[in-house]
Amino acid sequence: MSILVHAGTRILVQGITGSQAAVDTQRGLRYGARIVAGVTPGRGGETVHGVPVYDTVAEASRSHAIDATILYTPPLAVRDAGEEAIDAGVPLIVVTAEGVPVHDATSLIASARRAGIPLVGCNTNGIISPGRSRIGAIGGEDPGEIYAAGRIGICSRSGGMSAELARTLKFAGHGVSTCVSMGGDRHTGLGMADYALLFEQDVDTDAVVVFCEPGTRNERDLADALRAGRVTKPVIALVAGMFQEHYPPGQAFGHAAALARDAADTASAKIAMLREAGAIVVQTLDEIPALVTAAGMRGRTA
Amino acid sequence: VHGRRCGGRDAAIVIPLLEDDAKAWLRDAGFTVPAGATASTAADAARITEALGGDVVVKALVPMGRRGKAGAVVRAASATDAAHAASRMLGMSVGGLEVREVYVEAAVAIARELYAALLFDDDGPRVVVCAEGGVDIEVTARTTPTSVVGAPIDPLRGLAAWQAIDLWRRAGIHGPIARNLGDLTARLYQCFADGDAELLEINPLAVDAEGNVVIVGAMTGIDPAALGRQLRWRDAAARARRLQRLSPRERRVADVDAEVPGPEARYIELDGDIGLLVGGGGAGLYQQDRLRAWGGRPANHSVTPPTGSDRRKLRAVIEAILEHPGVLGLLVGFNYAQMARADVRVTTLMDVVEAKGIDTRRFPIVIRMLGAGEADARARVAGIAGIHYLPRDASLEDAVRLVVELVARARESRGA
Repeated sequence: MSILVHAGTRILVQGITGSQAAVDTQRGLRYGARIVAGVTPGRGGETVHGVPVYDTVAEASRSHAIDATILYTPPLAVRDAGEEAIDAGVPLIVVTAEGVPVHDATSLIASARRAGIPLVGCNTNGIISPGRSRIGAIGGEDPGEIYAAGRIGICSRSGGMSAELARTLKFAGHGVSTCVSMGGDRHTGLGMADYALLFEQDVDTDAVVVFCEPGTRNERDLADALRAGRVTKPVIALVAGMFQEHYPPGQAFGHAAALARDAADTASAKIAMLREAGAIVVQTLDEIPALVTAAGMRGRTA
Repeated sequence: VHGRRCGGRDAAIVIPLLEDDAKAWLRDAGFTVPAGATASTAADAARITEALGGDVVVKALVPMGRRGKAGAVVRAASATDAAHAASRMLGMSVGGLEVREVYVEAAVAIARELYAALLFDDDGPRVVVCAEGGVDIEVTARTTPTSVVGAPIDPLRGLAAWQAIDLWRRAGIHGPIARNLGDLTARLYQCFADGDAELLEINPLAVDAEGNVVIVGAMTGIDPAALGRQLRWRDAAARARRLQRLSPRERRVADVDAEVPGPEARYIELDGDIGLLVGGGGAGLYQQDRLRAWGGRPANHSVTPPTGSDRRKLRAVIEAILEHPGVLGLLVGFNYAQMARADVRVTTLMDVVEAKGIDTRRFPIVIRMLGAGEADARARVAGIAGIHYLPRDASLEDAVRLVVELVARARESRGA
């Protein structure tokens, strides 16, 4: 299997007439993604690379069964578009926009949680289950060049590093079950621990590779899940951003931010936390393939 | 490194409002705020003091806390005193920032000082109140942790007065004032949300002799991502940008970033000698770490927009990197490009290199860029001595190692 996006997942594209959306739609279709409909208010009745366009999500979902939607709406329109998808009951929402205002992002995330709908992003590059399907720009023009099908799950805070991780694995003969670029924003819908739990349940994933950054509670939650035994598959973590600790923190002009910042926020603290919880923490991409080989074997015999 | 560090990568810098802008906003929203005005000369400060009548407080307009300790908040009993205070402050440096204006406001007869803040933590919006204001909240949180009471806010429901009343009661405030404070705190949240603030900290939140609640200290940070819909903050954002402590190169990039529409570009100067042209996301963090691990010293960090956007931003970042006097070589390090075009980056880079007459035999450039437009990018620099465009199987680690080695060599030959 794979997580979130599978062969046959029926995809809606909100904002499909935009240039990036149109390019990704064309590439997605070529890769075998089942993109069934698009939405752009006022453009209903058109087609984009053969995909019918509707004015609203509700209208699209009356004509098509939809398993997931991806939002290409500009940052200030994300909250509305997301609420529209929630209202229509689309079971998975993926938000690509970078720079969604924090009040909008946290409201939309709260709304999706209340509805029990998983939300990926904001600021995600997409999800790919190599050889099966993809949603978003992830993989670019030729995903096959870096994403091979296989049994390693990837969850990355950085869209770019998800590509770099997959490429590193492929060069060493490993493939990927699903790769999620979870978004680098402070607030995201699903968190790293949520993805690890999905990989835990996926029979076709043997081990999980995560790319971590300073800030946010993602790694803390993942460490908790590991310690509690909710994630038992091997987790290999690359944590970037230690260099920041060599420079003074940004000029603080208020005290409240300092109050909210957790001491466990730095890359070093996260490395220690993940290692203590049983994750395999690496310094470089180049170390990962050999560890995956070992971890993958363990995963299969467990 | 400038900017807040929450979010890991160099998240866009929250826009600090100066006290006069923050107070005008809160006054417009119906809160009780002491009367005051902005002065850029001592004579202005004297005139404002006379008009206000009575004692005033003269405050340096710099976007930071703890100004009192820096001598940047002074009480004055007369126009002459206020003029003296203003002339001492104007031109002085507070936290590295030059004071260009002061805020002169009517002094409040404070009976009690409290604290209230709205902010975001990793889970979402949050309210914090404390019965002891006027001092550093971090200190209070350390010494008497139970006096600082916070709670998450459901952004879909907002903060209701009854919820805020409960918080103030838990913070030890009882009686009619708890109700006033609850109402005020709930209205503050509405302001915080409507104004796209990321931080709204009222310290002190004062209770005067008559029992009125007055906003005496206001520290506000605005979400830069919301500027497109918050016209009222455009001038404040420009003002905040002018006040930022930036090198001339950082300032040029910040100006271009503000003028040209599209995703963010940023250049952050560091004290090393290896220029770093990166995207600014995870791969940028990773390469900074790896450069240090190999003994290299980065001269900057950079955030460059996607190649589909206006190239002036990319060009401004490249110019800044190459103009840094300490820089001896350049790493152009990007993760395998799924969307961006390598040829756009290399063409823009070479335009700048040629315009500046940079001799790459003395200034090594290591490029590790794979993906769309790669063939054209390689063709653009083929055969140019000193430009090392790494082969397709090269890792980011290979690029880092090579640039550290080449810059070390360049350093030696310059020293020789």
